[in-house]
Amino acid sequence: MTRPTPAGRDCARAWEAMPWILQATASREQEAWLDSHLATCDDCRDEFEQQRKLARAVQLPPTVNLDPEQGLQRLFARLDVDDPQVQPEPRAASHGWLLRSLVAAVVLQAVGLGALGLKLWSTDTPAGPYRTLSDAAPAAPAGAIHVVPDKSMNMSAWNALLQAQHLRVVDGPNGVGAYTVVSEDAAVGAKQASDRLRSTAGIRFAEPVTGTP
Amino acid sequence: MTQVDTDANDRLLLQRMSAGDRAALTVMYRAYHGRLTRFLARLTRRADIIEEVINDCFWIVWQKAASFQGESRVSTWIMGIAYRCGLKSLRQHGSEPVDEDSVPEDRIPSHDPGDDRELRDWLGRGMERLSADQRVVVELVYGIGHSLDDVAAIMQCPVGTVKARLFHARVKLRNVLPGLAGETATSKEKLP
Repeated sequence: MTRPTPAGRDCARAWEAMPWILQATASREQEAWLDSHLATCDDCRDEFEQQRKLARAVQLPPTVNLDPEQGLQRLFARLDVDDPQVQPEPRAASHGWLLRSLVAAVVLQAVGLGALGLKLWSTDTPAGPYRTLSDAAPAAPAGAIHVVPDKSMNMSAWNALLQAQHLRVVDGPNGVGAYTVVSEDAAVGAKQASDRLRSTAGIRFAEPVTGTP
Repeated sequence: MTQVDTDANDRLLLQRMSAGDRAALTVMYRAYHGRLTRFLARLTRRADIIEEVINDCFWIVWQKAASFQGESRVSTWIMGIAYRCGLKSLRQHGSEPVDEDSVPEDRIPSHDPGDDRELRDWLGRGMERLSADQRVVVELVYGIGHSLDDVAAIMQCPVGTVKARLFHARVKLRNVLPGLAGETATSKEKLP
């Protein structure tokens, strides 16, 4: 009984060469080498004979008999109905419709963009800078003072105090009820204004803004 | 005629076909009909499917004649188209194993002498144990005489895959087919 697969490097090489030797596409050197190997290897000699038999069997005429002329007639009949070399005529109507739709879409876009541009151009006051929650808070203006009025102080008393001391609210109240104010009198500094505020009745806290801690 | 001459001739026929020359199609159809029939008979034993696949193949060859770029031989290109048409047809009709024993008497060529009949039976017993891809590789290499590179181009797979399919097909055939001395092989397939 022969081995099921080639054993050793030479036998593997012989196995690989056999189909091409049988095809007569191998080189003369390969043929000569296989001849010399077969002379010394019973297994490969048996395998080569088996391969020869396989090639002979595969090359037998097919068992399926088909008439090429009949097949050809059927192919021509098919091509008469559906010839892939004949491209269908382009349909002008559908192309015209597509073109008109595309032109309409482009015109509509142009009008929309024009209107948007005009609106942006005519805006007098520029929009403030866009801020997100993760952005740092804007810096307080120079000379700003944080002021916390007493809860008992009503709106008219607060307004009267601001007017009397020439102060203007620029921010607030924040979460703890603090306002940010600035002095409208250039001669009065932040420290002086905050001292004056502290000495005023109804003010719980007044301190110049010194920047980010 | 050498392989180079045949390919040059095939290219001329393709060129004429791309201009709509049906006479060139006729010549090429007749030239390839026999080998395509045998090749496709490794995939199915139904004659009607084989003829349908051959005509599908030539319908595509006719359509794509002008776009053939010449990266391979024309015969390799045509066999590749036939292979893919064959696989598509098998998916539609359901694959059937090759069963040479079941071929009706009237389908066996009348000139089939006793030796050929015996050889055909011997091959049939082996082929029915192979996968469709293994049968195709055996046919392309031993039947039609394609190289490994050609087979890889036809089956659109790496050369290594073709080598593996050929190797496994040979091992399986060696194990299932009686040897020359009439022994019954029982050894198991194993990798080298």
